[in-house]
Amino acid sequence: MQIAVASGKGGTGKTLVSTCLLRILGDKNSVLIDTDVEEPNAGLVLGQAVQKTTNVSRLVPEIAPRACNLCGECAEICSFNALVVLSDKVLVFDELCHSCGACTYLCPLRAIKEIEHPIGVIEEAQLPGYGTLLTGRLNVGEAQSPPLIKATKSQKATSALRIVDCPPGTTCAMIESIRDSDYCLLVTEPTPFGLHDLELSLEAIEMLNIPGGLVINRWQGEESELTALSDKTGVPILGRIPFSPELARAYMQGQDPLEAMPSLHGILTDIFNQIKGALS
Amino acid sequence: MKEILFISGKGGTGKTSLTSSFIQLADNCVACDYDVDASNLPILLKPQKVSSHDFSAGYTAHIDEESCISCGLCAELCRFDAINEEFRVLPLSCEGCGFCEKICPVQAITMYPRSSGHWAEGMFNQKHKVFFADLRPGEENSGKLVAQVKTMARKRADTEQTPLIIADGPPGIGCAVISSMVEVDLIVLVTEPSLSGFHDLQRVYQLMQLRGIKGMVIINKWDLNPDISQEIENWALNNDLPLAGKIPFSNIIVQSIAQAEIPATNPVIRKMLFPLWENIIEQLTVV
Repeated sequence: MQIAVASGKGGTGKTLVSTCLLRILGDKNSVLIDTDVEEPNAGLVLGQAVQKTTNVSRLVPEIAPRACNLCGECAEICSFNALVVLSDKVLVFDELCHSCGACTYLCPLRAIKEIEHPIGVIEEAQLPGYGTLLTGRLNVGEAQSPPLIKATKSQKATSALRIVDCPPGTTCAMIESIRDSDYCLLVTEPTPFGLHDLELSLEAIEMLNIPGGLVINRWQGEESELTALSDKTGVPILGRIPFSPELARAYMQGQDPLEAMPSLHGILTDIFNQIKGALS
Repeated sequence: MKEILFISGKGGTGKTSLTSSFIQLADNCVACDYDVDASNLPILLKPQKVSSHDFSAGYTAHIDEESCISCGLCAELCRFDAINEEFRVLPLSCEGCGFCEKICPVQAITMYPRSSGHWAEGMFNQKHKVFFADLRPGEENSGKLVAQVKTMARKRADTEQTPLIIADGPPGIGCAVISSMVEVDLIVLVTEPSLSGFHDLQRVYQLMQLRGIKGMVIINKWDLNPDISQEIENWALNNDLPLAGKIPFSNIIVQSIAQAEIPATNPVIRKMLFPLWENIIEQLTVV
């Protein structure tokens, strides 16, 4: 089973929920996948040392100057303006290239080959008794995160329980993160920002046809707008994590949230049981 | 004209609460929201829309079923798994590279421009301009939409001789943030004293350095963790990042946001943030 934990808005508690879910439910074969590759935080919360680091690259073109006759076909083909043909050479802008491979395949003189452009790493950390953490970490300065997200998610694909800690937003990075999940848990907060961004996330899970449920974090009793949205979309509210300054403080320091708020264990177990029920 | 960008790395540190407040404190500015896939600044500024424009970037492939001979070449060559077994295009996976269109032996594939969202110009407080955008969920090209918002805002500031652009940035360090940083004069890093806040701050700082932009730091909710707050202060000092100020956790700010109000409309918050704004403006004159 793969459960994606997403939110739309940043800072609503995705990492809190996903790390605690893994700790409560995980066994040695479970995995938590941190696909917030721009700013991965699950490793900080779980505090386990990284044992293995794997480099991830994507392919970009390299022109063999001797074979190239500067015909300009490649620049014509490229939809992303990643190739510029000058009077004496072809310039390749790796950061604009989407690694589609069209220029390489279509070069009339076969003067282009593809080389690896490093984009980040996958870090693997063993967690005591509850599985493995896989963290995608994008190189600073690299613009495109989806290829790294895809590579990170391709690891340990057969694990019985996979929890995906997704990036904020609703762009291609979020889509890549929630793709192929059995369920998407959307963590929200009862503020106008939380509500606005949640509506967009609900559109995203609907487009991918992934069943979803809501968790209201920092709940303080008032939830009429979230209830209305839940009723309108048919996406149920599965649980509420009450606002707690103790939890906020402990979590900020990297202390155990399940100790700071003992009731969290029951809240998350109940949420998981509802997900299982919905999927069976 | 100068441009100030508020970013944080981590989401939820209080960028929009603070940016909206500084926009309120500034005498004359053009406001911008570069968080195009979860645009929250307009929720607080409540602008009257002046104009709204469709934004399309990139293309999506379409396969004409009549002419397709099901040879499978397109599906085989597509790197994005965007063509399924029935030879239909999956728009959410299609990157718009056009490879399939070029290799289809029977020219059954056409590339269509893709509507990615829209951008808008609005007015708030009867005089200030604000530029914002909404990327359609699931779209890429957020960097291009940010660039569009930026171009329009800078043009407006130029024609109306507005001396300052104040921009609310997106979380992360990827394409949208990189695009937000173009031509920016000063970056204000809004952080919170948590392990993840500090970690994310350092990554966005590295990006800022790669781009050669000067910055300063605001530690929001500093009193929730004075130890990490002190660590961040020391780190900022060692990295030539002046501290614009520290803001304690405030229930008034929480209440303002709950009511979709700009926190600085409250006189207590206004008074608290004013010295920080003066520090930012002073820094802007030396960068």
